[in-house]
Amino acid sequence: MGANDERVPRRVALAASRDATAGGVRGASGGSSIAFSVLLAASALAIIGTLHFVAYVVPTEASMGIVQKIFYFHAPAGYAMYLGATACFIGSAGYLARGTQWWDSLAKSGAQVAVAMGLIVLITGPLWAAKAWGVYWTWDPRLTTSLLSVLIYIAYVVLRAFTGDSDAERKFAAALGVLGAANLPIIHYSVKMWGGNHPTVITGKGGGLGHPDMKLALGLGFLSFTLLSLALLWARLRVDLASARLAELEQEALEVGIGED
Amino acid sequence: MKSLHSLFSHAALQQPTGTATDDRAQAFRPVEGGNQMQSGEKLLVEAYAAIWLIIFAMVFLSWRRQKQIDRRIDALEAAVQKARAGAGQGTS
Repeated sequence: MGANDERVPRRVALAASRDATAGGVRGASGGSSIAFSVLLAASALAIIGTLHFVAYVVPTEASMGIVQKIFYFHAPAGYAMYLGATACFIGSAGYLARGTQWWDSLAKSGAQVAVAMGLIVLITGPLWAAKAWGVYWTWDPRLTTSLLSVLIYIAYVVLRAFTGDSDAERKFAAALGVLGAANLPIIHYSVKMWGGNHPTVITGKGGGLGHPDMKLALGLGFLSFTLLSLALLWARLRVDLASARLAELEQEALEVGIGED
Repeated sequence: MKSLHSLFSHAALQQPTGTATDDRAQAFRPVEGGNQMQSGEKLLVEAYAAIWLIIFAMVFLSWRRQKQIDRRIDALEAAVQKARAGAGQGTS
């Protein structure tokens, strides 16, 4: 498919969503910019508060020692990966139904957040396992399904980065975004269905977190990563909408006879 | 004298047996149990460093890309308006 062939459907999609993109694409405009700054500041404060609480207040775990403190960011990062993946699913379904730029940008941003959070999960988990299990990695059901999910969203991001931006490619990516979400409940229920070594401290019927400060730290971790993933999602959404607006302007510039530079 | 005796008896307790000394000189043996091979502090620092590197990289790259696009949009909008104004004057 040539570059000119790609531009026609792209322009149709852009024209359909012009109102949606034009209002919110600029980095520093209006009330949305203030709300974004407030969200970013709130997530930064929540993260600093959580770090302080985990470092100075939460007791060290009896059998594993200090390495258990990875958990207060590992589990919330896994949950934040679900948030990003859910945004990708909603955006993909929205794009398949409505075909507008905003839904496509939401899907793309959600996948990027899912990849970032998934990488955090896949790096911090093995570091904890090195101490707790004596090995970095084992083909445990939850580890395997989590890896599979992160690979799906990496594939989505790579697909969007290195292929064209026509309607066909967007629809293909949207299908991947919808089908990729099917793995999320499998990750969640993998421990219940197939067992394995992965701890079930939160959802299991055992003793759970044995100290109120441990529970509070985990709650703060979830709050921090909820705010952080929303802030990152919003930031990536703004970038992608601005990028679409830029492509539209470049078309207009060509029409009025202005060169590429 | 009593304290000297106590000192020597303590030293005797600390002194490794001949077999252990020979072992250390002639063989290196791993500890039993894999989880003793890793420092928990080091793993924790590595995990936290990875978390903040990924987050800061994403925030920084988003911020830099947004600035680049904003500058380009400003320049293009001004150029398109100027070209349209010029074209309008030309036709009227």
